[in-house]
Amino acid sequence: MFRTLSPLLVLLAVGAPAHAAVVVKPATVVLDNPESSQQLLVANDKPGPDLTRAAKYTSANPAVATVDATGLVIPKGEGKTEIVVAQGAESVRVPVEVRGLLKPTPISFEHQILPILTKASCNSGGCHGKAEGQNGFKLSVFGFDPQADYQALVMEGRGRRLFASAPDASLFVTKATGRVPHGGGRKVEPAGIRHKRLTRWITEGAQYESAAVKPVVAIEVEPANRVLALKGNQQLQVTAIDSAGVRRCITTEAEYESNATTIAGADGRGWVHAADIPGEAAILVRYMGHVATCRVTVPQPGVTFARPAEVNFIDKHVWDKLALLGIAPSELADDAMFLRRVYLDTIGTLPTAEEARAFLSSKESTKRAKLIDALLERPEYADYWAMKWSDILRVDRDAINAAGAVAMTRWLRKSFAQNKPFDQMAREVLTAQGSTTAEGPAAFYKVLGTPEVMSRSISQVFLGVRIECAQCHHHPSEKWGQDDYFALAGFFSGVSRKNLPTGAEAIFAGPTGTDLLHPRTKKPVPAKALGAPVPTFAPGTDRRRVLADWVTAADNPFFSIAAANRVWAHYFGRGLVEPLDDIRATNPASNEPLMRDLAKHLRDSKYDMKAFTRTLLNSRVYQLSSRTTPSNAKDEQNFSHAVPRAMPAEVLLDAISQTTGAPEKFNGWPEGVRAIQVWDNRMPSYFLKIFGRPVRASVCECERSNEPSMAQALHLMNSTEITAKIAARAGVARKLADSKKTPAEIADELFLATIARFPTEAERAAVLRAFDGAADARREVVEDLLWSLLNKREFVYNH
Amino acid sequence: MPARYCDGLSRRQAIRLGASGLIGGLSLPRLFERTANAASDKKVKAKSCIFLFLQGGPSTIDMWDMKPEAAVEVRGPYKPIKTSVTGTLVGEHCHRSAKIAHKYTILRTHSHNDNGHTTGCHYFWTGYKPNFADGTNSRVPVNDVYPSAGSIVSRELGPRGALPPYINLPHPLTAGGPGFYGAEHAPFVIESDPVQPDFEVKDLAALEGLGAKRLERRKQLLGELEKAEKAGTQDGRAATMNTYYQKARDLISSPAARKAFDLKSEPKAMREAYGYSSLGQCSLLARRMVEAGCRFVGIDHGSWDTHFTCFPSLEKELIPHADMAFSALVNDLDQRGMLNDTLVVMMGEMGRTPRVNGDAGRDHWSMAQSVLFAGGGIKPGKVIGATDKLGQAPVADPVSIEDILRTIFDLMGIDANKTYLTPLGRPVPLVNGGKIVESLL
Repeated sequence: MFRTLSPLLVLLAVGAPAHAAVVVKPATVVLDNPESSQQLLVANDKPGPDLTRAAKYTSANPAVATVDATGLVIPKGEGKTEIVVAQGAESVRVPVEVRGLLKPTPISFEHQILPILTKASCNSGGCHGKAEGQNGFKLSVFGFDPQADYQALVMEGRGRRLFASAPDASLFVTKATGRVPHGGGRKVEPAGIRHKRLTRWITEGAQYESAAVKPVVAIEVEPANRVLALKGNQQLQVTAIDSAGVRRCITTEAEYESNATTIAGADGRGWVHAADIPGEAAILVRYMGHVATCRVTVPQPGVTFARPAEVNFIDKHVWDKLALLGIAPSELADDAMFLRRVYLDTIGTLPTAEEARAFLSSKESTKRAKLIDALLERPEYADYWAMKWSDILRVDRDAINAAGAVAMTRWLRKSFAQNKPFDQMAREVLTAQGSTTAEGPAAFYKVLGTPEVMSRSISQVFLGVRIECAQCHHHPSEKWGQDDYFALAGFFSGVSRKNLPTGAEAIFAGPTGTDLLHPRTKKPVPAKALGAPVPTFAPGTDRRRVLADWVTAADNPFFSIAAANRVWAHYFGRGLVEPLDDIRATNPASNEPLMRDLAKHLRDSKYDMKAFTRTLLNSRVYQLSSRTTPSNAKDEQNFSHAVPRAMPAEVLLDAISQTTGAPEKFNGWPEGVRAIQVWDNRMPSYFLKIFGRPVRASVCECERSNEPSMAQALHLMNSTEITAKIAARAGVARKLADSKKTPAEIADELFLATIARFPTEAERAAVLRAFDGAADARREVVEDLLWSLLNKREFVYNH
Repeated sequence: MPARYCDGLSRRQAIRLGASGLIGGLSLPRLFERTANAASDKKVKAKSCIFLFLQGGPSTIDMWDMKPEAAVEVRGPYKPIKTSVTGTLVGEHCHRSAKIAHKYTILRTHSHNDNGHTTGCHYFWTGYKPNFADGTNSRVPVNDVYPSAGSIVSRELGPRGALPPYINLPHPLTAGGPGFYGAEHAPFVIESDPVQPDFEVKDLAALEGLGAKRLERRKQLLGELEKAEKAGTQDGRAATMNTYYQKARDLISSPAARKAFDLKSEPKAMREAYGYSSLGQCSLLARRMVEAGCRFVGIDHGSWDTHFTCFPSLEKELIPHADMAFSALVNDLDQRGMLNDTLVVMMGEMGRTPRVNGDAGRDHWSMAQSVLFAGGGIKPGKVIGATDKLGQAPVADPVSIEDILRTIFDLMGIDANKTYLTPLGRPVPLVNGGKIVESLL
């Protein structure tokens, strides 16, 4: 292995400003064991392309170390030498020291062999890592149980997997290198570094541990951010840091995975290659349960645009990002588009024709800001947000009971109506107890049931961390393991359900919390929050209070990000982190500075949801048009334009009822109740079912389907229910037909009521033609016009 | 009368829970994906599959795997009768099917170890054991992660005519949902029973009072209003709505589709041959839908959970209905020349206990069930395997759920090893393990 001395020395040794100097990282190389290697990185000190594979390398003494054309240095014999890196007219000399070859430090299975198995995907879910193993050889998935894996290799298979006397003839080695038939093919390159390490490990007696090998505590990737041209390349250099602080190059041993291979990918050597599509990719680097990411940006060439004015920090961060990517933002949405969008997003309700007419005709320069303020005070705001959080907190009549579902809905509605700070809401959920039918969130715990489900649901809702994977194995793309999972669940072990004398159920959180057992080791795992130290519980406390303090503390690394991202996703149709409740280092926000500042803004405003919402809605980014420009049509994640979204089932049903003037009658509910007010998620409704009302079976917002379907189209076009609304006796169409209004006035009225705008000239002409052709059937034409508007995409979508 | 499982969960409830999304369909990316799949060189024997699912668990020991030598509490009251295949005997109430035993094959060795209804249905339809206990997980859609066999067929093969590729009737199958595939591979559910005189497919019938003139006006107006697009709904997800509108319009206006659903146009004799039962009329409708291009029809037929006094309902309703529906369907497909490329399967999520219980019923028994296969490239006229003297378990070579699914997919030209990633990133092969039942081919 090698050690890196400060690369800063080289970085600082900059030549004359007029021409770029060549920089090699690291400046010196130490290789301290037979299978070590060092990837060099070569670049100019000025922004420019990666030169690692352009430079020419020579070793001053190939008996000590060799170097290949990719800049990989490999030890050959103990001693010192230099690698000469020639680039253009310049050359840089990199001192190399090789040691530890004659008496190498013994290899540790856990720290050095397991990573080979993982890198070669031997222990992946599709191969030996699956529950039943593969052809009799079973490994723990992603190596979460190193001891069992060691056992499998060394002891099982009648001992034929390893031959101490002839290491290279071990079945393990011959299979891995593809010298005997192997279903998985050749996974380890013959005579390569990994092959050598495997045989040396067997030669040394296949030790599980080696005292001299320190565990890795972190990994780093260089560079962590890179802007590449179309089809550009970049060599990565990955360094592991062990518990003694020693840095070793693991570039050839780490695994690489891109989250967007159509934009940029990386091969097993850490060589990143951009494709010919502009955009962004995160290259995920994994080694021994540690992760690092390199963000690759591939700008669209040749796009320039004038930065629009900035209303607040949101605009600044988005324009910065768009400028970097070469994506021009769309125009500001016109008043009609803004009006309809902000009504639907904020209060889940369409503007009426009168409201639309008034807003469109107002000449006031601050009318948008005033409308935002007014909407946040409407009662529908609380209705709509209570509905949204009823989905998240699983207010399911069947899982709780009617009284409990009403109680939770009322608590939610009141919380949003009085604009309760969100951290306080979270604390009330986290520490809820008492009767499940009293106004409050206690029933949430009834739905969740076990400490495991409680902890992973709470984690997903309030921390945005999906820790579910770690119940059975180490999270494949995060640092969370089974320890973390059961440690978190330990906060909920004191929660129980009891029957009250009144017959209602109650949630109790007694002082009886105990630490849960690790399913593999069967040892208690002390309760602790994610990445936090083990707390001490004062005798008799509800453990959840300690967790609530941690969750809502100012320095909690997740809570404000998760909350800000969730609200952002509601208004912008997509989280900065997406999926919105899957926050992790390996799933970075599409705009990190914006994510950071939004979370800070939420904390600074003391979790005042309305204030925070006001900031979002007043930004120019929120008010951009959904019409795209040539350079932003393909952009899905940088908020360069508004994205049309399907309306939630309840909102669409209310919109149709309001527009047609035919309110929906819900069985057992008073007349005039709107779908967004109905707490009963099991109320039979074909409409709500096909338009994706969730069954509230999980805390994931993804449960609400926004997929279009044929049944939806059939229902809107051809159902007796919608037809009846359009033709309702007391409905809007009938009233207009019976009025003295001219066809043009009727068109205005129906356009305003459905899509909040006046018809264009062409649309008006089309409507008038329809009227002209049927003077004796005025009512039918009005109905047909309303039908057409209800089936127009501009109506069905929030854009 | 709502059929109830022994766990108190009504079938309706279970069905509703299973329905996370209800409708099949196709978006453009999937269309492209399928074109790519079509290049696969797998041999296709069955273009479509009609699945008669006897939910609750059919008592196949009283139908297809008689034990006349066993004690009366095992063999039950029914006598075996001869069939058109020498040596093959079936229960006396299966006399219609007995006459055509040369057209199908009985697999007597299906066996698995999940004795629950919702869990067993989940295991069968998805090929994966659920992570919930039977009956206790009544509040979630039963297959919210793993896709059902019909959804897999929908995704891999897509439609081949005017009809959606995957249809459930007369309500959704308990675990027939699309799982992580999403709504576009959910079944198109006909929530209406064709045995009812007022049967119709929802939102498909011509609207009363809307003449051709008005339909034309609506079409024209909508077309002109869509042309003048002011918002950015012409691309992305919003644009896929167009695809569905187009398909919905096709469905409404397609004579082939309308004809497929028009059971009344069947001759009376044909309707009678299938039997005026839910299963009978569903099977007839299924044949019509397959003719019109549906790939996978899942018929849900309940009330087979016969714990108490089972024989009266078995001999008066359940067995005759299944016997009529199955034999009529096979004969009908055969006469139309469709049997070769239409696979018919009849089974439930489990069999029933060989020993009749103290309540004169039979309880859950997943260890042994007989399954009927016809058409679609299978070798007919056979009996595959045998159970022990008491019908408790296969004497050799039990056939698993994975084996059955793998065989069905293979017949339909689908590579069962194909793997997709769940939203959490876990690789999920279409079928996890299992082997093709070679003796069936």
